[in-house]
Order: sequence, then C-alpha cells, then structure tokens
Amino acid sequence: MYDLIIVGGGPAGVAAGVYAARKKIKTLLIAKEFGGQSLASADIQNWIGAKSISGFDLAKNLEEHLRAQEEIEILDGDFVAKVEKSKGKSFKAVTESGKNFEAKTVLVCSGSHHKKLGVPGEDKLNGRGVVYCSTCDAPLFGGKTVAVVGAGNAGLEAVRDLFAYADKIYLLVRGDAMKGDPVTLEEIKANPKLEIKYQVEVREILGEQLVTGVRYLDKAKNQTEELKLDGVFVEIGSAPNSDLVKDLVELDERGQIIVDHKTQMTSFSGIWAAGDVSDVLYKQNNISAGDAVKAVLNIYDHLNKNK
Amino acid sequence: MSKVTIYSTPTCVYCRMAKEFFHKNNIQYTEHNVAEDDAAREEMVQKSHQLGVPVIDINGEIHVGFNRSELERALGLK
Ligand SMILES: Cc1cc2nc3c(=O)[nH]c(=O)nc-3n(C[C@H](O)[C@H](O)[C@H](O)COP(=O)(O)OP(=O)(O)OC[C@H]3O[C@@H](n4cnc5c(N)ncnc54)[C@H](O)[C@@H]3O)c2cc1C
Repeated sequence: MYDLIIVGGGPAGVAAGVYAARKKIKTLLIAKEFGGQSLASADIQNWIGAKSISGFDLAKNLEEHLRAQEEIEILDGDFVAKVEKSKGKSFKAVTESGKNFEAKTVLVCSGSHHKKLGVPGEDKLNGRGVVYCSTCDAPLFGGKTVAVVGAGNAGLEAVRDLFAYADKIYLLVRGDAMKGDPVTLEEIKANPKLEIKYQVEVREILGEQLVTGVRYLDKAKNQTEELKLDGVFVEIGSAPNSDLVKDLVELDERGQIIVDHKTQMTSFSGIWAAGDVSDVLYKQNNISAGDAVKAVLNIYDHLNKNK
Repeated sequence: MSKVTIYSTPTCVYCRMAKEFFHKNNIQYTEHNVAEDDAAREEMVQKSHQLGVPVIDINGEIHVGFNRSELERALGLK
C-alpha cells in the first residue's frame, strides 16, 4: 500500500514526484512517458530557469530530476486505465498491462491529448496523411497539397510549419472568423500558398492507402463538397485525459477535473488533480508544475492528519 | 546482428528518442532524412504505407513510431 500514486510524467507529475520524494511520502509514479505535451516543441522559451530549451531536452531534464530522488518508485511505459475505490478509504489504480496498485491518495496529472475530428476515415488514415504533429511531419509533405483543420493558434502554427514544404495549403475554418493570434494571421495570409475556406465542416477523410482528400459541408451554401488533398493536419485543440477517474470525480462540461484552486483537491476526498487535466484557467508548463507542488503539500498535510 | 533503418525528419522528437535508444544499446543503424531525400520518402511509404515519422525497419519488420518495449523485443534486447 502506497501513501500516494501520481499519474503522469509531464511537468505536473514530475514536479509532484520530486516534492513527494523529498517529503518522504511513500509514492509510486506511473507515467506512459516523460516530458508531456511540449515534448514535440522545438523551442520553449518560457520554462523558468532556461532561456531556451527544446521539448526533448525538457523531457530529459524532468526525467533526470525525478530519477535523482531516492524515495520514489517509478513505473514508466505503462498507463493507468482506471482508478477505483478500494477497501476502506483507499484507492486502486489498474494499469493497461493489468497491474494493480493500492494507495491512500491519488494525484492525477494526466494532462490532455490532441482532439480528433471524429469523422470516418480519420483513424484508418492516421499516419497515412492524417497528421496530429505538424512540427514532426510537415517536412514529409514537400510539393504536396494539404489542409489544416482548425483556426486557433495551433492551426496557424501548422500552416506556418507547412509553408516551407507544401505547394498549396488550405486552412479549413468552421466558423466565419479566425481565433488565432492576429499578428500570425496577417503574416500567413500574405503567403500565396494559402487559401482560407470559411464555414467548412469536415465530414469524412477520403483515401484507401493514403489520404486522397476530404468531404466537407460548405455551411454557407449548405452543400457537400470534396477537396483533393495529400494530407490533413488536425489542429482543433486538446481534451483532458480524465477518463481514468470520470466515475469518481466531478468534471466540467469539457471533461476537465474540477478542483479547489487553493488545494487542488477534487470533489472526491483522497483524489487530487493538477495541470492540464484540471479546470485550471491557463495551461502552461510552469503553472502545471506549480499546481502539482501545491497538491503534494496539501496531500502531505492530509496524510499527517489521517495517520 | 540486426539490420536497422530509421526514416526520420530533423524536427521529430520521437525520431531523436529512437536514435538515442539505439545509441544506448549499441545498435548500429542507417538513417534517412525523408524531409530532404525524396527517394527515401517514397521507399518509406512503399514499405510502411505510412506518411509519418519515425518509421523503423528492423530486419524487414516495420515499426511505426517509437515504442521502446516493442523495439526491445524486435532487437532481442529483452
Ligand atoms: C506543441 C506544444 C507546445 C507548447 N509550448 C508551451 C510553451 O512554450 N510553454 C508552456 O508553458 N506551455 C507550452 N505548452 C503547454 C504545456 O505543454 C502544457 O501546459 C503542459 O505540458 C501540461 O503539463 P501536464 O503535466 O499537466 O500534462 P501533460 O504535459 O499532458 O503530461 C501528461 C503526462 O501524463 C502521461 N499520462 C497521461 N495519461 C496517463 C495515464 N492514464 N497513465 C499514465 N500516464 C499518463 C502522459 O504520457 C504525459 O507524460 C505547449 C503545448 C503543446 C502541445
């Protein structure tokens, strides 16, 4: 029986792990991988203490800092499928590989994931022209025609990543206005490779072996149309990884875990949450780390009180 | 010894992770930068029907993405 199980290996999970170890809380940290979402970022310039660091190096630093702690057990490469209520006041974490661990408290730092469109063809063609990491895969589309779906900052960034490679880029916007940063927008609009289509709702991604196009509803004309494409870059935001505790804790309408922002406690006594999986207003590396520290200090108090 | 080929782009972190994994385990590999090498890109698509990196070929067996335990198994490290 552990005192604490931490789920996640991003900035929140690792910060929690370091603090829990130093408080000598008997802890198990379970993480699918280390580094978290900004892993794919080429250059992070606001991680305090580092003027500029790649997501890759940040991940390495986080993992090293955690592994330097003696007082913590780490299970990496596994995934917590579900957290359940166990005997008395304790909890059971069940992993994807079928392992079970019990603990008095749980801290959920599972972050968020890239949202999918949820249309036919998307899963089948994932990695076959459907792309969720533009920094990684934009260079594969040299001389090709592609579409970016999503008009937030991530979508604009993807367009920018693609300018260096693709011949023609469509930006497919659901409404009739863009949501991203106006400066970036002005900059990309000036590029003749880009064509913006408004009022577009993607209905299906077409292709057998590789993407050949999309079928979409033109909402202005109320008409279904097709576009010929070699690639579809999906950048429609992210969704919290809160499934593992969805039967226990209260979630908001977006699936984020509702926490008390003073303590990071959830609606279920014994479970805390921090970072992007929570209903924190701003999703940032430093904030995730700080909130997770807050959680561990509160868990420490809780464990001492309930000895 | 295993014949290992990795198809990568310079900006892909999972490619870096895979290469670091090879170094740590003293695995020799050939790398193709498919951002620049169009022939290699075609070869990768032919072999894997994938348009995403990394694609790793171990003795003719294709692995998509970086999955440490899968590679350990394929290379007989575990
Ligand atoms: C491309 C990109 C660039 C960004 N750039 C910046 C930036 O420059 N500055 C900044 O401050 N923020 C940036 N962000 C936002 C920042 O990455 C997030 O706010 C931060 O990563 C959130 O940290 P987290 O620990 O809460 O969650 P995450 O980073 O999402 O980490 C969650 C971790 O938990 C693991 N996990 C998830 N579910 C489970 C489970 N069930 N079992 C086990 N493990 C699990 C995951 O593998 C992962 O390691 C960026 C985000 C993206 C996508």
